[in-house]
Amino acid sequence: MNQTARSPSTNSFAPEARPHTISLWRDRALPYLLIAPTVMVLLALSIYPLLYSVRVSLQTGSGEAAHWSLANFGRLTTDGFFFSALGHTVIYAVVALTFEFLLGLGLALLLDRSLRGRAIFRAVLLIPMLIPPVVVGVVWRLMLNADFGAINGTLKSLGIDTQALTWTASPKLALASVIAVDIWQWTPFMFLVLLAGLQAIPQEPYEAAMIDGASAWQTFRHVTLPLLRPAILVALLLRTMDLLRVFDQIFILTEGGPGFATETVSLYIYRAAFRFFDFGYAAAMSFVLLILTNIISVGYIKLLQDQEAA
Amino acid sequence: MTADRHTARRAKIATSAKYALSIAAVIAAVVPVYWMLTISLKTEVDQFASPPKWFAFTPTLAHYYDAFSTRSFGKYLITSAIVATLSTACAMVLGTLAAYGLSRFRLRGQLDRRLSLWILSTRMFPPIVTAVPLFLMMRDLRLINTITSLVIVYTALNLPFVVWMMRGFFKELPRELEEAAMVDGDTRTAVFCLIVSWNEFLLALVLTQTDAAMTLPVGIAGRVTQYEIEWGVMSAAGVVAMVPILAFALAVQRYLVRGLSLGAVKG
Repeated sequence: MNQTARSPSTNSFAPEARPHTISLWRDRALPYLLIAPTVMVLLALSIYPLLYSVRVSLQTGSGEAAHWSLANFGRLTTDGFFFSALGHTVIYAVVALTFEFLLGLGLALLLDRSLRGRAIFRAVLLIPMLIPPVVVGVVWRLMLNADFGAINGTLKSLGIDTQALTWTASPKLALASVIAVDIWQWTPFMFLVLLAGLQAIPQEPYEAAMIDGASAWQTFRHVTLPLLRPAILVALLLRTMDLLRVFDQIFILTEGGPGFATETVSLYIYRAAFRFFDFGYAAAMSFVLLILTNIISVGYIKLLQDQEAA
Repeated sequence: MTADRHTARRAKIATSAKYALSIAAVIAAVVPVYWMLTISLKTEVDQFASPPKWFAFTPTLAHYYDAFSTRSFGKYLITSAIVATLSTACAMVLGTLAAYGLSRFRLRGQLDRRLSLWILSTRMFPPIVTAVPLFLMMRDLRLINTITSLVIVYTALNLPFVVWMMRGFFKELPRELEEAAMVDGDTRTAVFCLIVSWNEFLLALVLTQTDAAMTLPVGIAGRVTQYEIEWGVMSAAGVVAMVPILAFALAVQRYLVRGLSLGAVKG
């Protein structure tokens, strides 16, 4: 066996009294024994289900009549509902990501330094992202309810006509409403990750910028932003992955309705699988979602690595 | 002299503006949650009052009583607690061992690096992708509607995160301090696993259909999407689902910030 495969540090695991060969075997096997359970659990609960999904998506008919075909994928290309759900997902992700990023960055800059009491502000701002998304759904059903919701109630007492403002029940406003709820819940996440990034930036570049007489905007543009880039990319990557799979709050707020106005890909897949029991078609659609998520994540990760290499 | 006074005044205005914005953000974060709290404590008449009653109402605990006595929310609460605790414990034990193996030994052909990346990548699957096959698997194993199935699935859900976090801790601290790394790292990581397991919804929705193993989020969802919604009971259940995790998270919030970035900043 190759000596370089052994880390020198593993020697401490071999009591010297043991016969040489046994301790050597134990040294080599130990890391694999430690890793094996995790790998097996993930194979059984992530990789196997994925392969199973491939099989189900490539079969039509059931039981004895099952046969291989691309019918599920063919059906995808002509399913207007699927494309509409895909469109909603993309709009949802882009709009929510933009607002969450801008608001989160603003808050992070606001609470980065020198503001007294910022620890308390920070703790309170954590609240929305810690609440179970299902409960967030309940919270906003109560806020947005057209009859007794706090928002329309307040508007009414200000003398504003709320007749047309039915929020999640209105085909026109429903998508905007669920996006607004996402922004409410997840801006704090952007804020926290960006804040952590800001606080990791050393003081020296700022001092240099001050000596050079840079304006606040110039300092932000040429010092803060470039140094914050890794944190920004990580925050955007994690949020994008979550936005593309969004399910919980929409399920509670609108169940994809009214009509089809807020149906996202995840909801449509759920409906296909667990309402119509069309597992093959659901699996085919989930591959499109998986591939989409992958392409975007790989893009972000490449950007991150370029950053590190530069 | 006047220039000094001028800058001092500008600084004062800037600070006030900062406070105003921060307070606005805090209000936006808290008010919706507070509104749910009031609904859970209001009688039906006060719930539907117009203009809305923010403070002046006679509180009642009737909805909480209903949620626990005549509905099954007490049961959901216990299930949620059991599932979150057990799955966190399993993920911590397995994940810490694997992270140790992946960070303290150099394996052949960079297997340690490759395995770490592969483990992380399993976390990137949208849950709906594995939900369908997991449902079919658990059905074949006759584990639908059991706490066991949820513990197994949540353990797998949290494992990549535990491995990745703990690997970071082991790599960062020298060998002599590895016990400290383990205690500190496990504490921080467990906080996240508990929050993730407690809040998880889609997989629990798919794997449970009866009260036998429903978690709080599934129990709440089941009632919300029915036609006639009892807002008071719903809100009480929401408060019950929210309070333990909020209290817990705020108590340990200093652990939260770093873990959020998933240790990914350092790669």
